[in-house]
Amino acid sequence: MAEEKKGRALATKAAASIPKFVRGNLAATIKAKEEGKKVAYAYIADGQDEIMRAMDIVPAWGESFAGVCAAKRDAEKYLQKAESDNFSRSLCTYATCTIGFDMIRSELGVDIVPDAPWGGMGRPDMILGSAQLLCDPRFKWPQATQHYLRDVPIFVGAMYYPPFDPKLNHHEQEKFYVKYCTEELRECVKFCEKHTGKKMDWDRLAEIVELSDKTWDLFIDTYELRKAIPTPMDTGDAMNTMVPLTFNLGTQEAYDFYKQLYDELQEKVKNKEGVVEPEKYRLIWAAGLPSWFALGDFQYFNSKGATFPVEVTYRGCEKIERLELPKTSDPLEHIAWRWVRYWTHWYDKARKRPGSLPKVERIIEYIEEYKCDGVVFHSAFSCRSWHAGIIHQAETLKKVYKEIPILILEGDIVDISSYNEADTHNRIDAFIEAVDAYKSRMG
Amino acid sequence: MAFFLGIDVGSGWTKAAICEDNELKSYAIVPSGGDYKKAAKEATNLALKKLNLSVKDIKCTVATGYGATMADFANDVISDISCHAKGISVLFSNVRTVIDIGAQFTRAITIDNDGRIINFIMNEKCAGGSGKFLQVTARILHVNIEELGRLSLESKKPVEFTTACAVFAESEAISRISEGARPEDIVAGIHKAMASKIMTLVTRVGMNPDYAVTGGGGKDIGLVKAIDNELRSKAYIPYEPQITAALGAAIFASSK
Repeated sequence: MAEEKKGRALATKAAASIPKFVRGNLAATIKAKEEGKKVAYAYIADGQDEIMRAMDIVPAWGESFAGVCAAKRDAEKYLQKAESDNFSRSLCTYATCTIGFDMIRSELGVDIVPDAPWGGMGRPDMILGSAQLLCDPRFKWPQATQHYLRDVPIFVGAMYYPPFDPKLNHHEQEKFYVKYCTEELRECVKFCEKHTGKKMDWDRLAEIVELSDKTWDLFIDTYELRKAIPTPMDTGDAMNTMVPLTFNLGTQEAYDFYKQLYDELQEKVKNKEGVVEPEKYRLIWAAGLPSWFALGDFQYFNSKGATFPVEVTYRGCEKIERLELPKTSDPLEHIAWRWVRYWTHWYDKARKRPGSLPKVERIIEYIEEYKCDGVVFHSAFSCRSWHAGIIHQAETLKKVYKEIPILILEGDIVDISSYNEADTHNRIDAFIEAVDAYKSRMG
Repeated sequence: MAFFLGIDVGSGWTKAAICEDNELKSYAIVPSGGDYKKAAKEATNLALKKLNLSVKDIKCTVATGYGATMADFANDVISDISCHAKGISVLFSNVRTVIDIGAQFTRAITIDNDGRIINFIMNEKCAGGSGKFLQVTARILHVNIEELGRLSLESKKPVEFTTACAVFAESEAISRISEGARPEDIVAGIHKAMASKIMTLVTRVGMNPDYAVTGGGGKDIGLVKAIDNELRSKAYIPYEPQITAALGAAIFASSK
């Protein structure tokens, strides 16, 4: 997402160019006023990226800014500010970080918050929330933000997808969910039209959606090059290279970035250039957002001869053909299908393996395809929606798959007070020794 | 004759073990204090002195523990989890689950036939199941930590603690003292709460009937009994549980 204060070695040139991307995104929210554009507070994986792009709304991504604050180890002032207004420290620290930031903006009565990392986010003209990740802050975060930005209109949509139940055939329910999501997106368009005073250009939206599909495909083609042994890029880089997909979807820049990364990885594969030499252990980052203030831990893994050729986190797309999307001329319906199928396309596989779960099937698929020897999860205490299920996933993986070494790291995304470097490194040391023993037992 | 040194620089205590032919010949335990480097040297010198040896007689040294890197004279550093696993496999070859109760951390480790880690789990950022809990208890009862085990065994009616959190348990224990609860019943209650917390770690990592308790916690007979009751089995306890990781480190050193 962002570079740390202390330089962190990255395997690829493309990843090293990401801070420029992130800075550019933040700068765009500041410059928008001069350019007569509207700024919207936006939240990742909201399904609304393409609507914003088609309507020239500049997204200000809360998670991205909070990640920058964390990586620069400059989030504490915002977390404390939020805490001073009774936001518990155990709430999502992405949310509390940006809420604290807006509290300061509100108190100072300014548009641009002074001393903010990389200039901060510009004052929004609207808030476009999306609660589809079934995460409580995704409902409450935008509303709490509005408490400090009283004049800013808010829209919170919800892009639900069918829950997994091995006894239920989700295919029967998908159409209902897609209809619901499409309606939510249509409401979002109406909201944006009202607050920008512009009408949606549907042809332009269709072009942007088509470009997004191409970007999804290219992203997967690029990341699948990491199956090579030695892997040319690991999760340490991927926590950077996810930026264009996550925060710039539907733009030519995002597509071009992955083309550049694809070429670079292809060259590395050709030259058998790996992240570490020799590559002794291949691991999967199976779930969990990283500690943005401790991205150097990926290098600690590397120093032990371990790499992560694959991660679930921020791989928020799939090859379009694998999703078997029904044809539609409505770009909003297409976005909805793409969203729902992205989640459900592991369901059939999970149903075939008794006791399994879609998330576990996904991990198994990656372990097999990327030839992984061990599994690492990161449990960030303030992100309940994702991290609450990690132990269950780990237990299920062992039960339905095999006794593969698993490490559950503990920390947070933004709150550095949750982090203990010596303890984390101690766990990594022991885990690597366990992986080594596992490999020798497996021959 | 070749001697091998294992040095375990823990957050509370520093332990040195010297082996010859995979057999423990000497050991020493000193408080780590605020200078891990000094503690590592002190423990090493004490262990050497018992055998009338000097540093030159040591062929290889492996350091482990929280402050392992402070033992800058070591040839290698290996995690204390691996060292506990290795140490216990030398002492009790049938043991497959190790519970290490250190000053700051409690770990449950499952090991294979060769004393290598299969799986491990540590207590979270919580002192609830660790030696810290015992230190807090000893302080509020004004007894030596070494006396807790004996006291606990005298209990007739252990106090039921509503929390396994060391911080809340402290205030709860103080309330119980003011209500007239006997010290032995408070200690037994604390042991029970710790055992329950440790039980959750063991359940997650995988319980084997042959298990051992290592670390300083292994010296507390009251705690070990509470763990035995929870796990419905009897723990193997090393002659000196606190030096298990140092012993494992010395064994690793001999294979270098």
